[in-house]
Amino acid sequence: MRVAKSSSGMILLALASVLHAQPPAAGPGGGRGGPGRAGPAAALFDPTGYWVAQITEDWKERIHPAAKGDVGSIPVSAAGRREAAAWDPASSNSCKAYGVGGILRMPGRLHINWEGNNLKIESDAGAQTRVLSFGTPSGQAGGLQGVSVASWDHLAPALTGFTLRGRGGGGGGSLKVVTTQASPGYLARNGVPYGAKATFTEYYDRQEVPGGPALLVVSVEVTDPDYLNGPYWYSVHFKKQADAAGWNPQPCDAR
Amino acid sequence: MKVLRLSLILLGCAASAWLLDAQAPSGGSAKGGPAPAVDFSGYWTGNMQEDGAERGAGPELVDYGGIPINEAGRLWALSYDTSRLTSRFHQCDGYVAPYSVRAIGNTLVWEERDPKLRTLIAIHWYSQTFEGHRVFWMDDRPHPPAYASHSYMGFSTGTFVGNALRVETTHLKQGWFRRNGLPESDQATLTEFFVRHGDHITYTSVVNDPVFLSEPWIRTTDFYRQPTDPGAWLFPCDDSEQIVGRAPDQVPNYLFGAHPYLDEYSKKNQVPLIGALGGPDTLYREFESKLASVSDAKARELTRPAPGPSATSVAVDPDPHDGEIHVLPIRNNVYMLVGDGGNIVVQTGDEGAFVVDTGAGKLTSKVLAEIRRLSTKPIRYIANTSFHADYTGGNQVLKNAGSDPSVVGTFLALNSPGVGATATIMAHENVAARMTGSLGNNQPTPSDSWPIDTYLADRHRQFHNGDSIEMFYMPHASTDGDSIVQFRRADIIVAGDIFNTTQYPFIDVANGGSVQGEISALNAILDRTVFEHSGEGGTLVVPGRGYLCDEHEVVEYRDMVAIVRDRVKALIASGASLEQVLAAKVTTDYDKRYGANSGPWTTRMFVTAVYQSLKQPPGK
Repeated sequence: MRVAKSSSGMILLALASVLHAQPPAAGPGGGRGGPGRAGPAAALFDPTGYWVAQITEDWKERIHPAAKGDVGSIPVSAAGRREAAAWDPASSNSCKAYGVGGILRMPGRLHINWEGNNLKIESDAGAQTRVLSFGTPSGQAGGLQGVSVASWDHLAPALTGFTLRGRGGGGGGSLKVVTTQASPGYLARNGVPYGAKATFTEYYDRQEVPGGPALLVVSVEVTDPDYLNGPYWYSVHFKKQADAAGWNPQPCDAR
Repeated sequence: MKVLRLSLILLGCAASAWLLDAQAPSGGSAKGGPAPAVDFSGYWTGNMQEDGAERGAGPELVDYGGIPINEAGRLWALSYDTSRLTSRFHQCDGYVAPYSVRAIGNTLVWEERDPKLRTLIAIHWYSQTFEGHRVFWMDDRPHPPAYASHSYMGFSTGTFVGNALRVETTHLKQGWFRRNGLPESDQATLTEFFVRHGDHITYTSVVNDPVFLSEPWIRTTDFYRQPTDPGAWLFPCDDSEQIVGRAPDQVPNYLFGAHPYLDEYSKKNQVPLIGALGGPDTLYREFESKLASVSDAKARELTRPAPGPSATSVAVDPDPHDGEIHVLPIRNNVYMLVGDGGNIVVQTGDEGAFVVDTGAGKLTSKVLAEIRRLSTKPIRYIANTSFHADYTGGNQVLKNAGSDPSVVGTFLALNSPGVGATATIMAHENVAARMTGSLGNNQPTPSDSWPIDTYLADRHRQFHNGDSIEMFYMPHASTDGDSIVQFRRADIIVAGDIFNTTQYPFIDVANGGSVQGEISALNAILDRTVFEHSGEGGTLVVPGRGYLCDEHEVVEYRDMVAIVRDRVKALIASGASLEQVLAAKVTTDYDKRYGANSGPWTTRMFVTAVYQSLKQPPGK
């Protein structure tokens, strides 16, 4: 009988701990603070400031347009290859290369700020602006940058396993952004295409490097039934700048 | 009553959970302990949708764009002839951690937990390629001292920060950043962040390499989860003869400015040469204008050393220089003692201590105290690998503190009263000759520091404490009296002045040293080593100065000496004078690792010694 009681106690202890391990309920804006908290107050980290892109991967394709038809490691379908083969090198500064599917891989700088409860990402490459809306999208017209819905993606309890200390690591999480309704553009500057049905799921994480500037790491999954054979994953990183040094907006060619 | 009891239990449980939670470190960091932040266990596959060609099939030659290499890194890479991989000592080279995580293949991750407390001890990250097994220690253990050995995977400690696992890695071996010869030095350190997004890991690595990089090299990549075991985890490697008849001192390399495929990648991919040659500015947008403005002819200037003073070593000094003697257990009953000039090796056992080299003699009383701590038995034998003061400075004190009971009461003792009252010092005959002043122009050292058990032939041997200990003569290497000492059962080689990790080899031409003898001696060490796996482990090598090594460090050091020799030789063949050879900066790609412009052994002295011993080889 004592054993049975003891077992009940253990089960209850586990139950209480697991219940405690659930993350706080997200507010309407997906923030950590629950209802009533939005904008910067709900942020899991500070994404604001000037960030400079470091082109350390796919350098050949990113630092200047790769040769016509060179699709690098992108899982392009036959239709995508045909489209890439038809690219006109004279249009290398086309704004289609600066849409949501290509802008984060461009050499340049980002300036991220809060605009009300939305995040605004400006890119000096192509002089582009993205708006990330928490909750219902507002102030977004689609176009090259599409419509982006943002949320704070808490560390999932399923990943932490059972623990008496509840949320491991003291919390934290990513900024998740899902973008749709973008007009067709290029995944690479040499005309590797994406279509109007493409979806872009981005995870933004801020990493503090001991003794160095903070990093903004963005991991992106692109799905595109028109031009990709399967999901295309890439990740890019930006180094935090103390100020606007080097900020040099250069418009793209709207032709 | 039942309801009340249940409520109380629930309340108690909840309170316990809150209390436990309250003990977690603040600031978003929970280190080890019972609270893993994220479980990474399982099978993962690296996503090859970035740099796919480079990471899969392999990079093209002279493709360095987007990598913040400095002059040393670029020149090292440009001198790399991929035929070097056919050398038997490179055939099984493993991947170093900064490369391994981005290499092609699958990864298995598992947690190691205390069986009783369930605390997280370590996270294991096992890569398919080369069986690269990394261990992220999560239990707050410190990193090893600078004189401890290095490995391809390095030594890693982990911390959970926010939603990331942050890993810090030190003690890496020299390896490559890219398989086209872009080097990573043994001074590199690595900071990594692992973040799980569902069945996906976003991985960020920050490499600091003060030898070959101008700034930290940051990369990101992705892994996706595999639901089943992909299999094929093993990666055995056994070296063999691939180029039959190649002389052991030949290390495939290109002279500065003579890479035969310099612009192959550049032309094929329409990348201006200035971009293909890499460097910190290639990472940023501003480089776009340089791509358009710098001609290939101008870019070629980067393929030779820039004029100006030579760089000096930025390597961490493995000697703590704290006035103390530090003891590093090596294997079996053999120890390395660090802190008094050259490294000292002590073997202990019932038959008394066997000591190899005695240091500079500045901290000998502390050396003696440490030996006493390791063994209550007397010091019985001392072997000197060199006559240089860094290795014999403590001879007198250690000899007089020891004894050799095996000769007391023997016929030998009848003829030589007092024999056996001290330890016996053994060395090559030329060591004794130079210490007594009978050979060369050196001031004699005190007579009771002289070796009395000397040898003239190739080998001297002693069975002691259950091990077969051999001394092998290395003619005209650092001097004309060097020996290496091998503990056969412990599988340890003591290299003395022939090999170190802190400076260019001390080729003492005035005392019979030569660059060719030095290379031969390094090859003689390699003739006696056997690696355990992927070119590392197995036979351990104690350098004269520096951290504990295995054959990999000896191979890289041998390559360096042979390559510098080739450059000097080519200049001599073209009629260059010593001053012209010095001006050619033939060591530029190694100076940030081994160079010195002041002190007892400078880069200039080394190049001069190479030049002199090539112009006038000893014995000719």
